[in-house]
Amino acid sequence: MTSTDTAAGRTAAAPAGRPTGTVPPPERPAVPAPPRRLLRAAGPAALFLVLAALAWQLMAVLLDSVLVPTVGDVVTELVGIVVDGSFAEQLGITVLRVALGFALAFLVAVAVGIAMGRNEFARRFFEPAVLLGLTIPGLVWALLCVIWFGVGLANPVIAVALASAPALVLTIYQGVRSVDPDLLEMAHVYRFSRSTRLRRLWLPALAPSLFAGARLGLSLGWKVIVLVEVFGMSSGVGYQLNNAFAGQNVGAVLAWTLLFAVVMAVLEYGVLQGLERRASRWRKVVSV
Amino acid sequence: MSAPPTTRIRLDGIGKTFVDARSGAPQTVLEDFSLTVDDGELVAVVGASGTGKTTLLHVVAGLTVPETGTVEIGRPRLGVVFQQPRLLDWLPVRQNVVLALEAAGLDPAGADPVLDAVGLTEYAGSYPSVLSGGQRQRVAVARAFAVEPDLVLLDEPFSALDELTARKLRLLLQELWMQRPRSGLLVTHNPLEAALLADRVIVLAGRPARIVAEHRVDRSRPRSAEDPYLFDLHTRIVAALA
Repeated sequence: MTSTDTAAGRTAAAPAGRPTGTVPPPERPAVPAPPRRLLRAAGPAALFLVLAALAWQLMAVLLDSVLVPTVGDVVTELVGIVVDGSFAEQLGITVLRVALGFALAFLVAVAVGIAMGRNEFARRFFEPAVLLGLTIPGLVWALLCVIWFGVGLANPVIAVALASAPALVLTIYQGVRSVDPDLLEMAHVYRFSRSTRLRRLWLPALAPSLFAGARLGLSLGWKVIVLVEVFGMSSGVGYQLNNAFAGQNVGAVLAWTLLFAVVMAVLEYGVLQGLERRASRWRKVVSV
Repeated sequence: MSAPPTTRIRLDGIGKTFVDARSGAPQTVLEDFSLTVDDGELVAVVGASGTGKTTLLHVVAGLTVPETGTVEIGRPRLGVVFQQPRLLDWLPVRQNVVLALEAAGLDPAGADPVLDAVGLTEYAGSYPSVLSGGQRQRVAVARAFAVEPDLVLLDEPFSALDELTARKLRLLLQELWMQRPRSGLLVTHNPLEAALLADRVIVLAGRPARIVAEHRVDRSRPRSAEDPYLFDLHTRIVAALA
């Protein structure tokens, strides 16, 4: 699915509604893509999924154990939690926690990352925190936040923020360092206002780093939130996983994990990549 | 001009030292350097690479603070053309000009006549990435003149372009210059460019830089690059450089 998106995006690179001078923007190719192209793009991924399911089924049949449910069992669980609405409900709770924690981390990281990129003292000041933060396992943040913040909303939010902020700071800092100093001089001599500099220069120049950081931070956030919910919450996907684990229901564990992973992948690659493509529309014109 | 010209830029006793990135040794680029540019005058500073021309221009632009000396330029509205166009690649051509206009508190509509003057009207909505190097530099020239600058600073503006494109842009610059009186400082290593465009040519050499020659260009505009007088002047500038 991901690879299909990318392939289609590349061929449909024409900037929508932007006149490009004498170079006429090529017509957007008819969507959907021709079946052959779709097959070539999505075929290998589909083949992998089918083979993995077959291998699992073979293993389940051979082992014949309650600890290794068949594909059918997993699908039954999967359909069950989707149909009775519990998946949507628990997912909503988990996504809200991640979103709040991530938003907090993002705000802090933009401020700290820009400060580190622009100021030598700030760089030396925050560097140890970032390096330490990168090496501390998410599990530790989860445990500490459960101990400190108990069962309130602050616990998951702060755990997600702590786990994702260091990677975000580092990515944004590197992005700031790569912003062309010539453009900053230009903005200086033409006396661009602070807000113009931020909106027209810094944000667009940092967009690739912001998106890379967002993807990295979110992927770390997903991993931590499940741990926090296992240890300290009474709702959310992690809590449900823990329930299934306590009941030795391996089928349910797999069903929750698979659904959660698919939703996160769609958010990460579908939504974020879509936004990124919009933000970098101007780059595509080069290939025209 | 009947009234005596007033001074637009006065640099007095400027000193600037950089630390060499490789050797770590201090390099004095400018020492006790003085220069004035009168109102309505375009002064060209010619010199080999590394003679402190760009440092000089950066001091005037406020991008470099000298260690010694005084800079008197008031707060003129600047139009600057750098060696590279320095456009915001994520904004269409017209928007690049409009940003400078808005920052100067001017009507964004002012972008259109100047884009027309540099021959880029049809590219106004294009992203800079579809333009050639020469066209991009035209956008930079348009941006510099759109803001109705009191002082135009040109830092090797055409040295990154092929000679044919550079010639066209020099003539374009001359045309824009003639539209209304303004002051300017042109930094270049091209003696012919200096002779063609400037009212006064200053030749720099050595480190720290000193003025080794100064020529007034007694030719009214428009000038032609084929003018024997300018060629002769160019020869004298080259002699002073060598």
